[in-house]
Amino acid sequence: MTLRNGNEHYREVSPDEFRNECVSLWKKNCLPRLLFATDERETGQGFCLYAVFSSPGEDRFEIPFMKLAEGTFSFQSLTVDIPAFHWYEREIRDMFGLVPEGHPDERQLVLHDCYPKDIFPLRRDVTVEAIKERTDDQRIDRYPYIKVDGEAIYEIPVGPVHAGIIEPGHFRFSAVGETVYYLDPRLFYVHKGVEKHFESAGFNKGVALAERISGVSTIGHGVAYCRAVERMAGVSIPQKAVAGRTILLELERLYNHVGDIANMCAGTGFAVGYARGTSLREELQALNGRVTGSRFLRGALQLGGLSRDVLEHAQHILDTVLSVHDKFIKYKKFLFSDVGHMERLDNTGILPEEIARNLGATGPAARASGIQDDIRTSHPYLAYKRHAPEPFAELTGDALARLNVRAREIDYSVSVIQSLLSRPVTGGISADIPEIAAGSHALGYTEGPRGSVFYFVKAAEDGRPLRVKVRSASYCNWPVISFAVKGNIVPDFPLINKSFNLSYSGCDM
Amino acid sequence: MWNTIIKNIFKRKEAVNLDRDDAQGGSAIISGNEAEGLKKIFGRSVRIRQVDAGSCNACEWECIALGNPVYDVSRYGIDFVASPRHADILLVTGPISKSMVLALRQTYRATPGPRIIIGCGDCTVDGGIYRGSYAVTDGLRGILPVAGIIPGCPPGPAEIARGVRLIVKGLIKE
Repeated sequence: MTLRNGNEHYREVSPDEFRNECVSLWKKNCLPRLLFATDERETGQGFCLYAVFSSPGEDRFEIPFMKLAEGTFSFQSLTVDIPAFHWYEREIRDMFGLVPEGHPDERQLVLHDCYPKDIFPLRRDVTVEAIKERTDDQRIDRYPYIKVDGEAIYEIPVGPVHAGIIEPGHFRFSAVGETVYYLDPRLFYVHKGVEKHFESAGFNKGVALAERISGVSTIGHGVAYCRAVERMAGVSIPQKAVAGRTILLELERLYNHVGDIANMCAGTGFAVGYARGTSLREELQALNGRVTGSRFLRGALQLGGLSRDVLEHAQHILDTVLSVHDKFIKYKKFLFSDVGHMERLDNTGILPEEIARNLGATGPAARASGIQDDIRTSHPYLAYKRHAPEPFAELTGDALARLNVRAREIDYSVSVIQSLLSRPVTGGISADIPEIAAGSHALGYTEGPRGSVFYFVKAAEDGRPLRVKVRSASYCNWPVISFAVKGNIVPDFPLINKSFNLSYSGCDM
Repeated sequence: MWNTIIKNIFKRKEAVNLDRDDAQGGSAIISGNEAEGLKKIFGRSVRIRQVDAGSCNACEWECIALGNPVYDVSRYGIDFVASPRHADILLVTGPISKSMVLALRQTYRATPGPRIIIGCGDCTVDGGIYRGSYAVTDGLRGILPVAGIIPGCPPGPAEIARGVRLIVKGLIKE
């Protein structure tokens, strides 16, 4: 059975064929985007498993899906063939109790030991009270870290509470002298059960929740969620909202990229570079505050369009962005003239293209490693239908390449904002959303500052979401960091981490 | 670079005056006339250990922004430190996810007394937007003895600095 919704091509296959179907798409160079389960037992469909791939060179999503037979709680693992799915399958095991048969890693991923082992939070018949009753937050997490054996190998445990002002996560380095041999990260300390929370929040309140998945990726997540729900309702948003949302997306990319480049200076201990960069970021965040009332652009979105007319501030946005861009060009020149800083970035934290591709890296991290993947170009949405960036990629895959990718994207963001603001748009800022039909579903996606963001939303009978699957960019990029760190010295880890700019909250949810 | 340094020596400092209520960073949530400055209350030395207990990371970014040249809180003697053992204040953000409760308690135990616990952001009140989720607790008050909470989602850098000052000042008066 095939089903089409715009560029989403769904195809139902039997559980036996599902694996072959996915592997053949992967062999055709389709990019794996996400793999997730839904619990549709209440409508008699049982547990379903969806895989989403992007067809190369065209705006088309291939979505094979299967229904598990009643009483079956396992499926054939895809990880051995498609390594990019290794975390998704572990997550499905934790959250739905569906076991990926043959998965090489049997450890828990999302749920720490404080949660009971036999309750699966995303099953629809499991209530919040039932989980809370059996959760013991005093239980120590005994995660079996991967151990490296051998002479002169010692372990450095770090976290979850770190030295800097950053999010919690535990890192277990196995080092030989100064050199990192292996890094095993333990994340999901800030798991907040957001996907389940979406189901009880309802569609409208979901916008605020999506905006808070990851602090500095408000618009990337917010727009992806709104677009999924709007596609389900069959609504097209007014032109003014299209332009406004695109400008917000680019404003978000701007302040993130400028901040990331400044943070890399903190990673190398280059105080002057850090101070100048954060001042620029501050100017952009102050602009955000004046345009939307929030320094993180929160509250500007609503289902159907925008909640406030950001284009009212056109002149102000233009003036600030252009002046910051001028300063940024000088700042970049200044950074590149500092040999000490550049020396540290060059050849540090190399992510080989093969690993980036196999593990499904996304965003600037992928583009710095030779993968020309940008949702704005491959699946144009909003104003990117006219303003899609040219596909490009750096080849070296080191921290310097990631800086270069960001610097180039800053230039592009400024040009997009400039050309969108030069054309006056009239009309309303929001369309009405009709009632959402039970059983309807859609994908929403954006290219956020850290990479592609995907939402899959499906409606239940009671007018609330049956399932909201969130896939942030950091979820794809966290697993690659172990490979980027390998062979580098321990003091370079903060720098490498900053060059990826990974969100813990966006990953843990 | 020398040009920049020389220019900066003679240029007027543009850092925001955090003693004023109309300081940049959004409207002041805590209003009132604060005659006493930050310097006077802390005697030029207060050390904050920030602990993320499930936050979305926006509050952390605002704490980090306090260190940039625009806000520059270190001129008031406020510093963010690397270890709870060096801290006077624990600044906790987020709805306290279940997986972080233990780490938060351990951080608290590692902080020498007298110690002040301050919540930062709406989530710390009662879980905020995540309230009712299986993975969060019902706010910071149920876990640690809290001196006060700085509201906002997230509170701006100026609001955090002002909030810390007001809460500590309140304790001194008692």
